Amino acid sequence: MFVLSFLLRRLLQGSLIILLVIFIIFTLLRVVPGDPARLIVGGMAPDAVVAMKAKELGLDRPIPIQFLSYLSDLATGDLGTSFVRPKSGASLGGSAFDDSTREDRAKVLDLILGTLPMTLQLAALSLAIALSVAVPLGTLGGLHPGRWPDKLALGLGSICVSTPNFWLGIVLTLFLSVKLKLLPAIGYRGFSYTILPAIVLAVEIIPFILRTLTVSVAQVMREEFIQIAPIRGLTRSRTVLLHALGNAAIPLVNLLGVQLGMLLGGVLVVEFIFDYPGLGLLTINAVLQRDFPLIQGIAIFISVMFVAINILVDLIAMTIDPRLEY
Amino acid sequence: MSDIVQQGAAPRTVARRGLTPTRRMLQIAVGRMDFRIGFVGFVLLVGLSFLLPLISPIDPIKIAYSSKLLPPFPAEGWRWPYLLGTDQLGRDVLMRCLVGLRYSLLIGLTTVILMFIVGCSLGLYAGFRGGWVDAVIMRLTDAQLSIPMIILAITILGVSRPTVPAIILVLGLSGWPLYARVARSVALGERNRGYVLGERVLGASDLRIMVLFVAPVVLPPIAFVAVLDIARMMIFESILGFLGLGVQPPTPTFGNVIADARKYLLNAWWIATMPGLFMLVSLTCLNLMGSALERARNAVLRGEA
Repeated sequence: MFVLSFLLRRLLQGSLIILLVIFIIFTLLRVVPGDPARLIVGGMAPDAVVAMKAKELGLDRPIPIQFLSYLSDLATGDLGTSFVRPKSGASLGGSAFDDSTREDRAKVLDLILGTLPMTLQLAALSLAIALSVAVPLGTLGGLHPGRWPDKLALGLGSICVSTPNFWLGIVLTLFLSVKLKLLPAIGYRGFSYTILPAIVLAVEIIPFILRTLTVSVAQVMREEFIQIAPIRGLTRSRTVLLHALGNAAIPLVNLLGVQLGMLLGGVLVVEFIFDYPGLGLLTINAVLQRDFPLIQGIAIFISVMFVAINILVDLIAMTIDPRLEY
Repeated sequence: MSDIVQQGAAPRTVARRGLTPTRRMLQIAVGRMDFRIGFVGFVLLVGLSFLLPLISPIDPIKIAYSSKLLPPFPAEGWRWPYLLGTDQLGRDVLMRCLVGLRYSLLIGLTTVILMFIVGCSLGLYAGFRGGWVDAVIMRLTDAQLSIPMIILAITILGVSRPTVPAIILVLGLSGWPLYARVARSVALGERNRGYVLGERVLGASDLRIMVLFVAPVVLPPIAFVAVLDIARMMIFESILGFLGLGVQPPTPTFGNVIADARKYLLNAWWIATMPGLFMLVSLTCLNLMGSALERARNAVLRGEA
């Protein structure tokens, strides 16, 4: 019953947030310079064609009305149609307004859902790499504050967080794929193309996990229920693995929810460097091509995911520690 | 900005007489080895970046074909004074790094100050007033937080002209929500403490209490951690530069230098790798300082010092 009321409250709050996001993004894209109608028909088109296109898309209506019609489309699950991308999947349609190769434009939702699995694959692999490095080291650091594992964790964290991801991508490409020919780097033609981007992304995630985990493990180890564990006859390893780690994981789970936006930023850049056909590359291309419906769609889609994941994170935290109240 | 240690619960009773918590945090941090290493390295690099371009005859923008593609120091064929080599147009890589560091630092610092001011004042106000003001500000914060900063930044900079003030504004305005959250949670804890109630009884206005009494107590610990954000913003700035949305060439920044040098990666590896290495070193120094400050803050707030 409690979970139900929690879910209901959070879902209501979440939809309010999403509505705000839609409003912010929509206004933002309307006040920046750049005429989308001209963009669609191409720079060389006569003014009459531009005006016709604007009328066809409803861009000549007042902005509040455009916003309402966009909202009603959204309500039916229609995120709109890309300005630039044709259905065939090529990144750019013919550039002249009377070019016969101009096809129907692709649906924004289809574009997003088409690239999402690739990004999820990348994110999952990099999260796995990051966790397998950072969890053992972070736990050790938290168990021995001030000793060498702690210092190692601090040093590694400081170096990782100072590494510019685009630079690391270039350097790894140079050494691992050009010089040593170990891993393929650019584009996507099979799972092995995910490994290098995932490593770069993992380096970006590792410091955050390390920092949070060392602090929270150290904190949990000072608590009473851990201090009295030896009296109850529990071994040290049993105490740490079964009693301390679970409680120390809560800040980590919360962190993943808050830092999701930052993670996505990393995905964007990494996919751009490695030309990895995921959501990030789609976003950057959409911005560079001023494909407003696509930018809008991606931003809304991401904020929906953000809200959903944060609700999920709180649910997981509550399952781990039933004392928590939200 | 992960705040695991509850800030409002700072036990002030164990404080050594005559020392404010802020002073104690600084003392602990300065005593740490990692802070010292970071501090010395950082001061050296920043000093170099401000002094060397003044006294050196080398122009970071001027093209000199006679000295193009010289390799860096230990490699065969390097020439004084091009310690880190020269690029495809004969420009000194070291000098370009130093100028890049200046821009990066300038943007990082101003951005964090802007973020800090906007976020903390909104957060303090929300936490202190409570009620519907709190609800409105916090929902706005949530909304802003759920639009990834980088998407916002590249969207705005991609469709308008990327100038230095525009970059600072965009990064600053998209980074404030975390500060607002932390400041609010601290302000909530301070709202009902004795000294605040005392001021209330004396007839002080909300604004006066907030600015004169609450802010000096709660802001320094947050500012300590903000050092880490300077490094983060410097990376963001270079990412924007790399995507072509940062400070525009010919002004060298880490981002646009590395993006440009990608084309010469195979025959002149140093043009792309050296600026990155330089950036890595300076950011590591900054981060060492930041994390030492953070740990000192945690120790003080936990009441251990």
